[in-house]
Amino acid sequence: MTTKKRKAAAKKKSPAKRSPRAAFAVATNEKKSTAERAKAFAEAPLATIASDQSLQASLSVLRDREQPIKVRLAALQSLQAATFSVIEFEPYREDYFATLRELVDDPDAELRQRVLGILAREKDGYVQKRLLEGLQDTSKALVPPEKALQLLSYDVHADAYPVAREIVNAPPNPEAKREALRLLSADANSAPVFEKLMRDKNEDRDIRQISAAALQSVKPKRFQEQARELLLDDKEYDDIQATALTALEQFGDEKAVAKDQKLMDRVDELGKGKSAKVKKTAKRFMTRYGSEK
Amino acid sequence: MDVEIQINNSPNANARFLNWSPTRCRIRITNPAGAQGQGQPPIRISARTTANSGSVVFRSGTTGAFAASLQLRVPVNGNWVSFFAAGQFGRPSVSLNDVAIQAKHGNGNQVIGSTPCTVRIRKNANNLTPAERDRFIAAFAQLNNQGLGRFADFRDMHTNVSSPQAHGAPGFLPWHRAYLLDLERELQAIDPSVALHYWRFDQGSPNIFKRDFLGESDNVGTVFFSATNPLQFWKTDGVTGINRRPFFNTNNPTGVRTEAQTLALGTNYTNFRTMEGNPHGSAHTSFGGSISSIGTAARDPLFFLLHCNVDRLWAKWQRNNNRFNPAVAASFDSGAWPIGHNLVDTMWPWNGITGPPRPPTAPGGTMAPSPVVTAPGLSPRVRDSLDFQGKINAAACMGFDYDDVPFS
Repeated sequence: MTTKKRKAAAKKKSPAKRSPRAAFAVATNEKKSTAERAKAFAEAPLATIASDQSLQASLSVLRDREQPIKVRLAALQSLQAATFSVIEFEPYREDYFATLRELVDDPDAELRQRVLGILAREKDGYVQKRLLEGLQDTSKALVPPEKALQLLSYDVHADAYPVAREIVNAPPNPEAKREALRLLSADANSAPVFEKLMRDKNEDRDIRQISAAALQSVKPKRFQEQARELLLDDKEYDDIQATALTALEQFGDEKAVAKDQKLMDRVDELGKGKSAKVKKTAKRFMTRYGSEK
Repeated sequence: MDVEIQINNSPNANARFLNWSPTRCRIRITNPAGAQGQGQPPIRISARTTANSGSVVFRSGTTGAFAASLQLRVPVNGNWVSFFAAGQFGRPSVSLNDVAIQAKHGNGNQVIGSTPCTVRIRKNANNLTPAERDRFIAAFAQLNNQGLGRFADFRDMHTNVSSPQAHGAPGFLPWHRAYLLDLERELQAIDPSVALHYWRFDQGSPNIFKRDFLGESDNVGTVFFSATNPLQFWKTDGVTGINRRPFFNTNNPTGVRTEAQTLALGTNYTNFRTMEGNPHGSAHTSFGGSISSIGTAARDPLFFLLHCNVDRLWAKWQRNNNRFNPAVAASFDSGAWPIGHNLVDTMWPWNGITGPPRPPTAPGGTMAPSPVVTAPGLSPRVRDSLDFQGKINAAACMGFDYDDVPFS
């Protein structure tokens, strides 16, 4: 085969067939297009940790604000995929996380959010501190409050509870309220808040749903009482009743539920109603507790 | 005449499960009325099925082709006669006991005995019927039991501390196979009709990422469920809910190796196991949220469907290259690997060993036992994970199969 033919054949070769080393060479080559580089990074995550040189080259792309953001995000995704090969990744772990800490103030919001997510899942104390500061003083916020609350929930500390409670009382937006409730879902002291929100017909449905799940989790007996009231209320919304029925059917106190004839009659009635979701859950409920058992 | 048919040679209803591998069964005459003087009357065994149910095939011995029916001579004295049954490839069950093994006398049509059973197979989760999907998520939700259930052990098995037991070396695939099987058996203890299903991360899976199944993510990465979905009560590490934000179009994923590319990584395990990076690692990091970090990945039930697909790919690769036998060098990557990654090593946490170089705790105890098979044992070794269909040794069959990986 002539050199020309060999080159043509190599060109036709599927990208998946090229070696990880070849893919990595494309990923770090600034002369290649953004799309080619991003694709090459995605192709061979383990090539980013093939050697110290590869790691440093990958981290350099990730750090460099002059690089196209798509390439930086692809480098991050590839490095993060390589972290799953724990034993091979171990020698590079320290450098990787040190680089991520440098990026928590990166001007690109998407990159910043992803980096913060990775560090928050590692329970990184520095990131937790910065996220909490951002919730207390919006001028220091690295991400929107709902995202900060979500990231703090990877390692719930009681010191996040006061700010979460404040947000529940005076939320900057509905998403932040929802995430604050989720963060508080391990906090038994917040049970009265969950109970109030779960019963409040003027509240957003998502808020009521998460409040119901949180109450069910911290005070199951109290939840069961409240769920009963919701089901007996013929003016209650379908989806809230379906949530209550699902909880009772899956996790209810079998003895208490089965001997509650008023509740059984009501669920029987709901099972004959118009709402498909209520009918579905009522049927499952009756299969477990009622005459259909 | 009446006969009794036992599946897995057991009268136990919990043992009436089949997959694609042959399962020992037996039949005996319990009431010989009408067969006196025949000595060993002919009895025809077949499957009673419906249009969408599972189906079963038969053979008389340990070798040979399977057939839709089998003629046996069964003595009137009540002695057992053995035969083998297997799920008919391409016809898995859709509900518990939706198929039965039935017996008829000679060429007659009268059913003289019947035993219901289930061809329990791991399927593409995107293609489940609504009823299969609902049973699957209900079993998961009950295993989790709002953070108070047995699922906590499975979450604690897959953490940063324990990760060297299961990642970055040849034991990656065997460890996760055992891990999934342990979880699947716990799900089956809740609902025996359930198998652990898989997410084809190289294909669009619109049905999985819906509120009725594993949930729909918003821009923040919060996963939403329908009011009828018990996963709305999912709780791990003390926090209700699941965080997951796809970086790809769930109808058309890109960026992970396809099945064909993965299976073409090489015919030696040493080459094939590089799939730990792509597609495995790439599938994890195609999302933001819990699933994209090793220490938190197991907080998301999707993790188990992702890994089920990783295991399916290994199973398919094993079949394509006949790599079930640990004694064959190309079936594994032998060398001096860290503990837990060599064929002869026991696997944590099922071995109960704690303290360096093993993790400080061993959550969950031994492997959940199965009423159907004995393998891989309560404290499996790495080598016990390879012959999952019992091709080399029938006793090694682990009791699971995939809808697109046949036995033969």
